[in-house]
Amino acid sequence: MSAANANRPRASESRGDGVRRRSPGEDRNADRSLDCEILIVGSGAGGSTTATVLAEAGFDVLIAEEGAWVDQGSVIPFSLAQMDSQYRSGGVTVALGAPSIAYTEGRCAGGGTEVNSGLYRRPPGEVIDRWRSQYQIRDLDPAELDSIADEVEKELSVCLTPGTPSEPSRILRDGAEALGWQNSEIPRWMTYPEGTTGFRGERQSMTRTYLPRAMAAGARLVTGLTIDRLITSNGRATSATARQDGRPVTVRFRHVIVCGGAIQTPALLQRSGIRKHIGRSLAVHPTVKLAARFDHEVNVPDDVPVHQVKEFAPALSFGGSASNPGLVALSLSDSWRDFAPAVEAWPSISVYYAAITSEGRGVVQAVPGMRDPIVTYRLTRRDKDLLRSGLARLALLMLAAGAQEVYPSFRGAPIVRNRGDLATLQERFAAAKASVMTVHLCSTVPLGEDRSRCGADSYGRVHGYPNVFVNDASLLPDAPGVNPQGSVMALAIRNARHFARTERPRG
Amino acid sequence: MADSPISVLGPRPIPEHTIITGAAGWLGQGLCNLLTDPTSRYYRPTPITGIVRNSEEAALLAGIAGVTTLIGDVTDASAMLNALADADAGPTTDLIHTAGVIHPVRLSDFEAINAGGTRNVVEAAAKAGVRRMVHVSSNSPFGLNPDRNDTFRHEEPYRPYLGYGLSKMRGEQAVSDACRAGILDAVMVRPPWFYGPWQPLRQTTFFKMVGSGKFPMFGGGRQRRSMVYIENLVQGIVRAELSDASPGSAWWVADAQAYTVAEIVSTVQAARRAEGLQSKDGGIKVPQFVAGGAVAADRLLQRFGKYKQEIHVLGEMGATIACDISVTRAELGYDPEIDLLEGMRRSIRWCQARGIDLG
Repeated sequence: MSAANANRPRASESRGDGVRRRSPGEDRNADRSLDCEILIVGSGAGGSTTATVLAEAGFDVLIAEEGAWVDQGSVIPFSLAQMDSQYRSGGVTVALGAPSIAYTEGRCAGGGTEVNSGLYRRPPGEVIDRWRSQYQIRDLDPAELDSIADEVEKELSVCLTPGTPSEPSRILRDGAEALGWQNSEIPRWMTYPEGTTGFRGERQSMTRTYLPRAMAAGARLVTGLTIDRLITSNGRATSATARQDGRPVTVRFRHVIVCGGAIQTPALLQRSGIRKHIGRSLAVHPTVKLAARFDHEVNVPDDVPVHQVKEFAPALSFGGSASNPGLVALSLSDSWRDFAPAVEAWPSISVYYAAITSEGRGVVQAVPGMRDPIVTYRLTRRDKDLLRSGLARLALLMLAAGAQEVYPSFRGAPIVRNRGDLATLQERFAAAKASVMTVHLCSTVPLGEDRSRCGADSYGRVHGYPNVFVNDASLLPDAPGVNPQGSVMALAIRNARHFARTERPRG
Repeated sequence: MADSPISVLGPRPIPEHTIITGAAGWLGQGLCNLLTDPTSRYYRPTPITGIVRNSEEAALLAGIAGVTTLIGDVTDASAMLNALADADAGPTTDLIHTAGVIHPVRLSDFEAINAGGTRNVVEAAAKAGVRRMVHVSSNSPFGLNPDRNDTFRHEEPYRPYLGYGLSKMRGEQAVSDACRAGILDAVMVRPPWFYGPWQPLRQTTFFKMVGSGKFPMFGGGRQRRSMVYIENLVQGIVRAELSDASPGSAWWVADAQAYTVAEIVSTVQAARRAEGLQSKDGGIKVPQFVAGGAVAADRLLQRFGKYKQEIHVLGEMGATIACDISVTRAELGYDPEIDLLEGMRRSIRWCQARGIDLG
């Protein structure tokens, strides 16, 4: 790879790296194979950081990424085209239940970091303390995670936006201020070229940061490579069966670290016959939405607000959602008959969410013969009460910020124009009628020494499988109540360093 | 009166005349007694008119020097207009509207008294041009907290709890509408469950149940409840009355913090023992779902126009109703000095002084 593109490898160049190619006369059906010391499955926040730490420590690392390499900026953020190219199943995946919960997963080099809001929160100290004591996580030290967070923040250029916040962001801030509710701007991993405003930041996702760093240290990234299952023998995984362009590939390794995210990681382990406490405790931040119309133009189609309202945290958080015209229409669609006329006013509309920390849990279950696992999630009574209250409080905030009309996203919702309408909103709300969704999925392989519920040990080694590791959002024992990418990265780096200290690279 | 006395409780002077609706009720009697007691910090030397429903109610206030009574039913619009005219209400009059019903004989009383009655009082007060009206609302327009650890902030969306909550919300809306229209200067206080002297008979039952160790505790009694001692509430009302806050303002008025149900039960038991009464520890442990069942039964009964006090109270006991008074402190200088133990001890002494058997 030339120096010029060392930091920005293209899919075509990186794909197939290390794959033993057939010569012209070779049998088309012959297996292709890859060898490595460490196979990392997935290149998101967990996989990229793990690859960097291990490659820099001298290990021979191969990263298998199912999706493609998509350059930042080549696709409009939060657009349909992005859903098509960078999300699993075009962004349409659902956890079954009453209500069903729509969720999204990134599927591209860099994973979720390429497509999410880019908002960064450190893992909260009290959450770390709770995890350590409740799940018996050895040596989980908030100070160590804080110092890793310092490094991550530098690497990703985590900072506040320059200049004034966008209009949808200002609305959140001013509405909260009017009610006396605590709010703040959440920093992002963005850089802002000289002279640009907060609207034109460049996302410092994995394809711009840790992935190039890992590759500079010798890690190989293979895109378009789907790992189907791990082959185990006497409690050790020896190889993986995989596909690339529909053709079988075998990947042989000494260790495997699964970083496919909270849905794909447990699904792969289950398909490989590894099932104990795997995929049984999915945690999410269930989210309900509303659209608010103002008396002036507020819509920013290609960015999300950077303010969040944390007055009721961790139980409840409010923030802004992507609001391009298609997504505005989507948020109005639950009560389309009554709300449809509003869509014409989309430039004056922005979409906001209320997210809760849920007491409910979900299950990820791989099913033989099906490409995707079945995901179910059950909200508790308290979760549903909190979603209702959250939506109403968010609508109150919108009125306080000067909204003319608020359109809550549930079937049969009233248009909220004044505080009296908030009573109607709460009376009519039922979680089963709402478009509940989530982007934060975690906890399907919780880490810790509590063998009654943890799928992996204190450093992510799957219990009972000495060379199989997990190092992604699956490890978080429960949903942290804040944007989780910072927690995922800090924990992944901690675990990878522990691995590098305890395992020696093959000479 | 040439010079109105000034008060330490707010920037506005004490009014030349105070009118209290529901004057023979629990809170009304408390106000009449404290505002006319020269040893109380709430004392005002100016006359007080108590509006009561009938002569039996008037008799309850007969012994209080400084209080005159007028008979008038809040559900009768013209009676309210006449009462305020008879009382000579005007720009130097404040009106404290405490009339309301919480445990009605008929379900329709909620709407008639709490909503309709408030509309009538608002209209009469606006017509008379009173200086300020203080409307005594409730936590009930805001329902139950969604989570045991949740606390209602100063501003919350309405979510009325059953018939009572709906009627109290409509009462608030009548007040807000008049303020928005600029025809009345009114403010509101929102007390949660209150306790203390001048209590009605149902509170005696509460003391007895807790004393016998038979008070129902759902799910370990970890629900949180805001309560307010009646004298703290009087402080909140007077501070709201004399504040220079803009019309339409509303504040939670409660004790310093919310208590868990288990804490309420053990504090009442401690108060009983401190006042020389026998008391067993704890309460009856009841699974949380029973409270859910009681709420469902209450809802069903109310749908058919029926109201059963025991079912209603039982349902509410399983829930958290907690409010945050920090804005009340900041804006009104409100400082609830009496806590649960002291308040309950005073309640018990008040009952004992009147020969009421608390078991």
